[in-house]
Amino acid sequence: MKANQGRLRLSADVGGTFTDVAAFDEPTGRLKLGKTLTTPQRLVDGIETGVGKADASFAAAQLFLHGTTVAINTILERTGAPCALLTTQGFRDIYEIGRVNRPEAYNLFFKKHVPLIDRDMRFDIRERMDAAGKILIPLDEAQVLEVASAAVKNGVKAIAILFLHSYRNPAHEQRAKAIVEQAFPDLFVTASHELSQEYREYERTSTTAANAYVGPRVRSYLSEMDTHLGDTGFTGTFLIVQSTGGLFDIAEAQTSCIRMLESGPAAGVIGSKTLCANIGLKNAIAFDMGGTTAKAGVIYDGEVLMTGGALVGGYASGLPLQIPMIDIQEVGTGGGSIAHIEAGALRVGPESAGAQPGPACYGQGGQQPTVTDCNLVLGRLASDRFLGGEMKLDLAAARLAIDAKIAKPLGLNAVEAADGILRVAATKMSHMVRWVTTERGLDAADFALIAYGGAGPLHATMIARELRIGKVIIPFAPGHFSAYGMLFADLRRDLVNTWFKPFVDASFEEMEALYGAMERRGAEDLRRSRDMMVEVVNQRGADMRYVGQEHAVSVDIPMELFRNQDRAGIKKHFDAVHETRYGYSNADEKAEIVSLRSATVGLMRKPEPEAMAKGGASPEAAFRGKRPVYFSGAGTVETQTYDRALLVAGNRIDGPALIEEHASTTVVWPQDKVEVDAFGNLHIEIGRA
Amino acid sequence: MDAMTESGRGQDKSGHTARAVDPVVTEIVRNGLIAVTEEMKINLMRTAYNMIIYEALDFTVGLFDADGNTVSIGLGLPMFIRGMSETVKAKIAHFKGDLDPGDILLTNDAYITGSHLNHMTFTVPVFHEGELVGFSCCMAHWPDVGGTLSGSTTDIYSEGLQMPIVKIYRKGQINEELVAIIKTNVRLAERAMGDFRAQIAAVKTGEKRFLEMMRKYGRDEVLDGIHAIMNQSERLARERVLAMPDGVYRAESFMDDDGVSVGAPVPIRVTVEIKGDRMTVDLSEVSKQVGGFYNSGMTAGLSCCQVAFKCLTSPLDMPINEGQFRALDIVLPPGRVVSAVKPAAMRMWMTYPMTVVDTIFKAVGPAMPDQVAAGHHADLVVGRVNGRKAADNSFYIYLGGLIGGGWGAKHNSDGMNATIAMNDGDTHNGPSEQVEAKYPLLVERYTLRADSGGDGRFRGGLGTEQVVQAINEINFSSQMDRVKCKPWGLFDGLSGAGNSVALHRNGADKETHFPNGKALNQVLKPGDAYILRSGGGGGYGTPLERDLGMLERDVRCGYVSRAEAEKSYGAVFTAGGAIDPEATAKRRVEMRAANLPVDEPIAPTLIFPPKIEQEQFKVPEKLTEEERMVFAMNCRCCS
Repeated sequence: MKANQGRLRLSADVGGTFTDVAAFDEPTGRLKLGKTLTTPQRLVDGIETGVGKADASFAAAQLFLHGTTVAINTILERTGAPCALLTTQGFRDIYEIGRVNRPEAYNLFFKKHVPLIDRDMRFDIRERMDAAGKILIPLDEAQVLEVASAAVKNGVKAIAILFLHSYRNPAHEQRAKAIVEQAFPDLFVTASHELSQEYREYERTSTTAANAYVGPRVRSYLSEMDTHLGDTGFTGTFLIVQSTGGLFDIAEAQTSCIRMLESGPAAGVIGSKTLCANIGLKNAIAFDMGGTTAKAGVIYDGEVLMTGGALVGGYASGLPLQIPMIDIQEVGTGGGSIAHIEAGALRVGPESAGAQPGPACYGQGGQQPTVTDCNLVLGRLASDRFLGGEMKLDLAAARLAIDAKIAKPLGLNAVEAADGILRVAATKMSHMVRWVTTERGLDAADFALIAYGGAGPLHATMIARELRIGKVIIPFAPGHFSAYGMLFADLRRDLVNTWFKPFVDASFEEMEALYGAMERRGAEDLRRSRDMMVEVVNQRGADMRYVGQEHAVSVDIPMELFRNQDRAGIKKHFDAVHETRYGYSNADEKAEIVSLRSATVGLMRKPEPEAMAKGGASPEAAFRGKRPVYFSGAGTVETQTYDRALLVAGNRIDGPALIEEHASTTVVWPQDKVEVDAFGNLHIEIGRA
Repeated sequence: MDAMTESGRGQDKSGHTARAVDPVVTEIVRNGLIAVTEEMKINLMRTAYNMIIYEALDFTVGLFDADGNTVSIGLGLPMFIRGMSETVKAKIAHFKGDLDPGDILLTNDAYITGSHLNHMTFTVPVFHEGELVGFSCCMAHWPDVGGTLSGSTTDIYSEGLQMPIVKIYRKGQINEELVAIIKTNVRLAERAMGDFRAQIAAVKTGEKRFLEMMRKYGRDEVLDGIHAIMNQSERLARERVLAMPDGVYRAESFMDDDGVSVGAPVPIRVTVEIKGDRMTVDLSEVSKQVGGFYNSGMTAGLSCCQVAFKCLTSPLDMPINEGQFRALDIVLPPGRVVSAVKPAAMRMWMTYPMTVVDTIFKAVGPAMPDQVAAGHHADLVVGRVNGRKAADNSFYIYLGGLIGGGWGAKHNSDGMNATIAMNDGDTHNGPSEQVEAKYPLLVERYTLRADSGGDGRFRGGLGTEQVVQAINEINFSSQMDRVKCKPWGLFDGLSGAGNSVALHRNGADKETHFPNGKALNQVLKPGDAYILRSGGGGGYGTPLERDLGMLERDVRCGYVSRAEAEKSYGAVFTAGGAIDPEATAKRRVEMRAANLPVDEPIAPTLIFPPKIEQEQFKVPEKLTEEERMVFAMNCRCCS
C-alpha cells in the first residue's frame, strides 16, 4: 500500500534542546542531516524545520522514524496523569515498600523512591493465584468495578493492574482490565502481564504504574504528531524507537508507552552496531556525550549488550522498569558540567549549566565555568566556528569564569585550570566507561571507542588514554548520530516469560510451546508493519543460574541448540557466559531456568552505506589554518585544523590536529594518527605517550 | 586490649613535607580511589560463590595507607566502617615490619574485627619499588566457619574456627598447612575455598589498580594526593564540628535483653562532648559485656562512633577515609558490650551497635537539632525458616524477613517508611513471587503498619508487616530486639512502634506473642503463619504542630488512622471527614494544657504467653553436609 511511494526515509531525534533529523534517499544513497532547535509548543514544527534543513520533505517520505523524550520527561518532571493501582490483596504497599535498600548508607536524610501513585489511589483487590498459576481466591469482579468507579470519580485518567503471579496466569489481570475498559472506555488501562511476564512484583508494579502514568500524555502526543504529519503531506509509515533500539508502530507505542523511554540513546548504540558491522569491528564501546551527561553502551562480538531493566532517576531513588532494553550506563558529566571548589578540592559536575543559562561562553548570563568553557580557553573550540559559526562563543567570559571560580582560588592560571578541569572530567567518564565492561567481566582495553554526541569527539581521545584503549572511531556526523542510527533500526518485539524450572527437568516440548507462544505474539505485534519488513527472525535466550543462586544471567541461545534438543550444549553455553561474567563456572553443577526470553525482529531494508570519494593521504584540501591549542604534557602547540566536510577517504592526519564540523570538533592529540575510512569515519590510532 | 582512647589523628604523622599539592591530580586520585574500591567490590561480588556476599553485600573492601589508616572503603556493610582499618593495624603491629611482596595476611579474630568469626579478613601489603606504600584489604562473611549448630552460644569457642593473624601466603607461596586447617574446620570446604579465592582476587585487584595509579601519576603525587584528600575531608568535618555548640551531651537507651537473661534490659549510655572543632564520644557507661551472644568487640564500638560522626558531619563525602574522623575522639574501656573481651560470645554482634549509633544522635540532638534523626527500628527483622518440600521431601532453608522498617523523622521531613536498618546499606529484600515459587510458603501480606510511625510535627517512618503461611510444616526462628524499648521521638515527638514477632496458629483466634522478640525453633504446622513486624521511626517535634495538609494526607492515605489523628494530633474532623482547622486549633490548645499526647517509650511489660504445648524442633540426625551448613547460618549480619 505505502511501499511504492518515495524511497525516502526520515528520522528525527527530538531532545530537550535540539532536534536532529536524518534523511536518507534510497535510490541515490544520499544522506542529509539537519539540526535545529526543539520547538516545545509543537514539536513537529521543529522536526519540519530540520527536515527542510536536510533538503527533504515529509511528502516525499515513505518512512518516518522517531525518537522522543516525551515518556522519560513525563516521569522525571512528574507531569503524568492521575492514576490508580489495583493490586492483590495484602500487597497494596508493595509499590511503596520497594526493595528496602539504602544506598546512601550514612545519609540520615536519604530519600527512597517516591511512587507515581499515592497510597489512597492504590487498592487491594480480593483475588489470589499461587506460584503455579492456580487460583486460590477467585477475582472479586464486583469489587474491581466498584474500586475503578471510585477512582474515576476521584479524577484518575489511567489505571494500572498488578496481580501476583500474573506472569504464570494472567487471567485475573485480563479479566479486571476488561471490566474496567468496558465500564470506562476512555480510560488508559494497563495490566502488568502485557509489559512484563517476569517475576518480581515490585519492579513489575513500578513498570505498570509508569506506563499508566505516561500513557495518556504519550497517547495524545503520538496522535497529534500523526495528525500533524498528515498535515505536512506525509503518507508513509510512522514508527517509534524503543529502548531496545528496535522499532514499533504507533498503535503499540500508544499502549506500551514505557517501551520508548530511552529511544534516543538506544538509537546511538544501534548506529554504533551498524558501524561496527560495516567496518568489520567486533567489540566496541558506544560513547555518547552531550550537554549534561555521558553515556556508554557495549557492542560485544557484534551484538549490543542488553539488560532486563533500569532505574529511572538514578540508583538511589529511582523507579525501576522491568523491560528489556539496551544496557546503557550514564554519568553526570557533559559539556555543561560546572566546575566548582568544595573544601579546597576541585570538583566537576554533576551540576550542569543546562541550555539556560548554559556555559559562560554562550553569553546568556552563565557565570559558572563549564567543560565547554574549558575547551574554548584551551583552543579546542573556536569562538567563530561553533555550530558552523551560527553561534558565537565569548572567550573572555569563559576565561573570566574559570579564572574567578577555579584558577585564582587554586593558585593556577586559567589555562592550567581549564586543562585540569578537563582531565578530571575525562577520568570521571573513563571510570563510567570502564564500569560497563568490568561489571560484565570484560576489559575496556580490548574495545574500540566509538564517540559521538556534540561533546564526544572533543574528549574521546583523552578517555581512551585513561583506559589504554588503542582505537577511537568518530563516526560520520557524530552530532546527529542518534538520528542517523535510527535509519538502521529494525522492528522488534521483546518478550520474557518467567518459568522457574530445574534445567534437567525442562522438557523441550514445553520450552518449544512457551517460545512458540512468545514468537507468535511477537509476529502478531509486528504484523501491522509487515509491508516494511524483509524477513522475520526469532532470537531465543534464557535467564539461568546455578541452583541455589539468586541472580540469574541472560544467555543468548542459538536456535540450532533447540532444534537439536541439545541440552548439554545449552548448559555449556550457560557455563561459558557465567564464567565470563562471574569468573566461575562448573560443568557438574546443576542449573535452573528462571525466565525464557524471545526477541522477534522484523528486518527492514537497510540503507546501503555510501562510500565517499577516495583521495590521497594528504588532507590539504580540508586544511583551514592553524591555531594555538593547549595539550597537557606538550603545552601550547600550533595545531592544524581541518574541515571535516572536505576530508575524503584515505586522508591521513597526524596529531596534534582539530577536525571541525558543524556540530562537533574532534581533538587529535600529539602522536595520534587519523585515517578517514571509505564511509567518512575517522579512525584514530591513539599514540602511546 | 588496653583501654582505648582513640585519639583523633589530628596531627599529621605521615612525615609529609609541605610540598605543593596538585589540586587536579588530587581530584583525579580521589575519583580513582573510589573507582578502585568499587572495582574491588564488583570483583568480589562477581567471583564469590556465596550469596551472602553477592546478595546481602555482607563484605567490605578497602585501601589503607602504610600505617593502616583508611584511604577508601567500598561498602558492603556500613557498620564495618572501622573493622578493616583496625584489622590492618593489628596485622602491622603483629608482624612489626616483617612484610614482603607477595605476602597475604589473614585473620578472623573476632576481638580484632570486632564482629563474629564469619568475617574472614584478607590483607595484601602493597609495595612500590620495594617500599611499603599501603594495604589492600577485604572482609567477607563466610556462611560457615564451623562451631555449634544450635542457635545459642555462650562463648567464642563454640562459634567456630578461630584463625589468629597469619600469613596465608608468604612471598607468593600459599601456606597449605593453614589451608588444610581451615578446610578441616569448616562445613563445605570447597565453597569456603571459592570465597577464599574471590577475596584473594579482590585484594589483588586493589593492589594492581593502586600501583597502576602510582605508575601513571607518580608515587609522590598519589601519596600527596591521598594526604590532601584526608586533609580536605578533615577540614570539612572539622568545620561541621566547629559549628556545633560546645557542651556535654548525654543520652540513655535500652536493649530488651541479651537472649539469655530474659527480660533484663541492657543499658546503653553515651556521653558526647563538643569542644571547639573536636567531638569526644564516651561509651564507658555502655553496659558491661553480656552472657548471651549479642557482644561485639572494641572495633565495633569504635565503628558506632565513626558511623554516627560521619552521618553528622560528612554523610556524602567520598571516599570514606581516615581524615573524616580526625576530629573525633573516642573513650571506650574494654569489657563493654561493644568492646567485649574473650571469651564473650559474638554471633549476633550486629544488633546492639545500631542502637548505640541512634543513642549518639539522641544525645547530641539538642545541640544540633537540624542534623539528627529520631530513633529507628534498629534491627534486621529476620525470620529463619527451614523445612521440607512436599514434592520430593527435599530439605530447604529460607532466610526470610529483612522487611525494612521505619526511620526517624528529622527537622524538615518525615522518616522513611520500610527501609533497611543502619547495619545494612544496599541490601535488598526478596520478591514474594520468588519466595512462593521456590518454597512451600505463601506470603499473605506484606504491608506498611498504619500508626507505627512515631507521631510528630514530622512523623516517623512506618514499619512493615509480613505474614507468611506455612504450606508444609516448617521450623521457624527469629531473634530480634527493640520490641519493648521502642524507637524514640525527639523534641516532643512520640515513640514509634517496636519490632515484634508473632505466630498465628491455625484456628486459634489469637496470635502467640514473644515479648522479648526471641522466638527460637518454633514448629509451624501447615496453615500456621509467622508474622514479622518491624518498628516505626520516632517522631520529631510535637504532633500538635503537624501541618494539617500533611495530616490530612496521612489520614487519606492511611498512614495514620483517624483515631490516632484525633488522639495524638488533636485533629477534629467535620461530618464530611475533612479536618476542621479551627476546631483542631482549639483542641490542640486544650491538649497542650493537659500535657497531651502522652508518649509511651517502653511498651508495657507483657505477660508471658501460656506455655505452648508444642514440640521443640531438634536438629535431625540425618542431614547432608549441605543441610548441616544451613543450620550453622544462624548468625548473618545481613538477611
